[in-house]
Amino acid sequence: MTSLHELQSRLLDALLSASAEHAESSPAVSPPALSLIAAPVPAAASRLAVYRHTVHANVAAALRSTYPAVWRLVGEDYFRGVAHDFIVRHPSECGDLTPVGALFPAYLARLHERDEYAYLGEVARFEWLIQEALLVAEPPPFDLARLRLVPPAAYDGLRFVLHPALRLFESRYPVRRIWESNVGTAEPDSIDLAGGGDRLALLQQRLQPHFHAVTTGEWRWLEALEAGEPFAASVEAALASDAGFEAAGALRRFVSIGAIVDF
Amino acid sequence: MGEPMAPSLAQATAPLPASAGIGLRAAHHVEVLADSPDVAWFEAHTENYFADGGAHVACLSRIRERYPLSLHGVGLSLGSTDPLNAQHLARLKRAVDRFAPALVSEHLSWSSVGGRFANDLLPLPYTEEALRHVSGRIAQAQDALGRQLLIENVSSYVTYRCSNLTEWEFLAGVAVESGCAILLDLNNIFVSAHNHGYDCIDYLEGIPVGAVQEFHLAGHTCIDEGGESLLIDTHGAPVCDAVWDLYRHALQRFGARPTLIEWDTNIPSLEVLMAEARRADALEAALHDLAA
Repeated sequence: MTSLHELQSRLLDALLSASAEHAESSPAVSPPALSLIAAPVPAAASRLAVYRHTVHANVAAALRSTYPAVWRLVGEDYFRGVAHDFIVRHPSECGDLTPVGALFPAYLARLHERDEYAYLGEVARFEWLIQEALLVAEPPPFDLARLRLVPPAAYDGLRFVLHPALRLFESRYPVRRIWESNVGTAEPDSIDLAGGGDRLALLQQRLQPHFHAVTTGEWRWLEALEAGEPFAASVEAALASDAGFEAAGALRRFVSIGAIVDF
Repeated sequence: MGEPMAPSLAQATAPLPASAGIGLRAAHHVEVLADSPDVAWFEAHTENYFADGGAHVACLSRIRERYPLSLHGVGLSLGSTDPLNAQHLARLKRAVDRFAPALVSEHLSWSSVGGRFANDLLPLPYTEEALRHVSGRIAQAQDALGRQLLIENVSSYVTYRCSNLTEWEFLAGVAVESGCAILLDLNNIFVSAHNHGYDCIDYLEGIPVGAVQEFHLAGHTCIDEGGESLLIDTHGAPVCDAVWDLYRHALQRFGARPTLIEWDTNIPSLEVLMAEARRADALEAALHDLAA
């Protein structure tokens, strides 16, 4: 008798294996799996193909939900094909489909590394960070009254805490404009891909994504805060990369947009 | 939005009414919160509310303040021969603590092995080995959660050469061995009975009356697969007449139970789902009157 583990391994191999065509149109299922099924081979193959279709369609739907702009940019047919190839190379590792697309941006970036769609990987990375930011629990707002009680001499040692949804995003292409132009139903704008990249702080505010352009100094400063460095050291790091960095103004700005939530 | 507040103890301990509820889908969150429609209870897919925060978690917290809730999982892979996924179980426990559902259910199926997931409800072979294995895992999950699980029969398109029990013998055996309750999906019975050539009534009569705590009703579609008709459990259509008939049989055998209208693809308006729920309630009321 086939052990349960052996049966499951053979069946899953068949469901997740590559096919020449997209999974839903290919009844090709490997013989080791077919011999498990209580039906003649043609019927067993077509019935297993129903499962293959569902497995691949479920992942494609999850990816489409995470990557709506990528989906719109490439179209349904191409997206389904890429999703099929992706799941074969990077099967889901979790019973919850939310994390299934974590490697999709890197996969798309490699796939289009040297062609005119090189921006797709960056758009996908942007969408992944948005999903991450939107699933974070909202912390209590910054307590300014508590900050006022801190003696000025102690400011340098304060370790400011960033909002857990804050994500820093840098790109070669104008990803924010590409994304904004492709998540709605309106006709996408024409965008000059050579128009320069983004350097953004992504945040969740009232359950919606918000984007804030950041300077070189602010970027370095936020990185330092994220690494847990005290205020004085973070300002020093920012000034080293951007002599024009102004600490008091940056602190006011990032507290006011909710990027800094505690200390 | 901080950590959602747990519902009051009264809400947490109240059982679901033995009437029809609706599967809660994100497309209806806003309408449910705005209109508080006349729905007896909602059932939510547990994994959709695993996140620390975000819009879905916020909506379900508010909906839970107004309605009884059941949490229905699809990802625990109870039949897998991998170790039970501790992280998934911990998230399930957190969701149960957070939303205080009246019922918590999962499926009699597997979806993973060797750390890879199909994210689909794959049928088990109906053998003594599989029965002992899945019963042990259900008992382990129940111990971790500190409560009884309801286990649902899945629809299927294949049976295995090694199976030597009927599906209903297997399901009934799992309930005895694990101490779980049964969520009887009547559409799934109908779909599998058609696909594998057995009698739905034999199935119902093989299930112990006291074990069933919930029914599911849903729609399916029929496809031609290699010259044979195959029923596919799409959850994308109204409940068909044959499944309504089966529901009538189930009510006669098991009595009134919380009954869910499930719809997952081509999701219609809330009003369509409420009309299906009213039909289920009317059928139960008619049988009740007849018996009286």
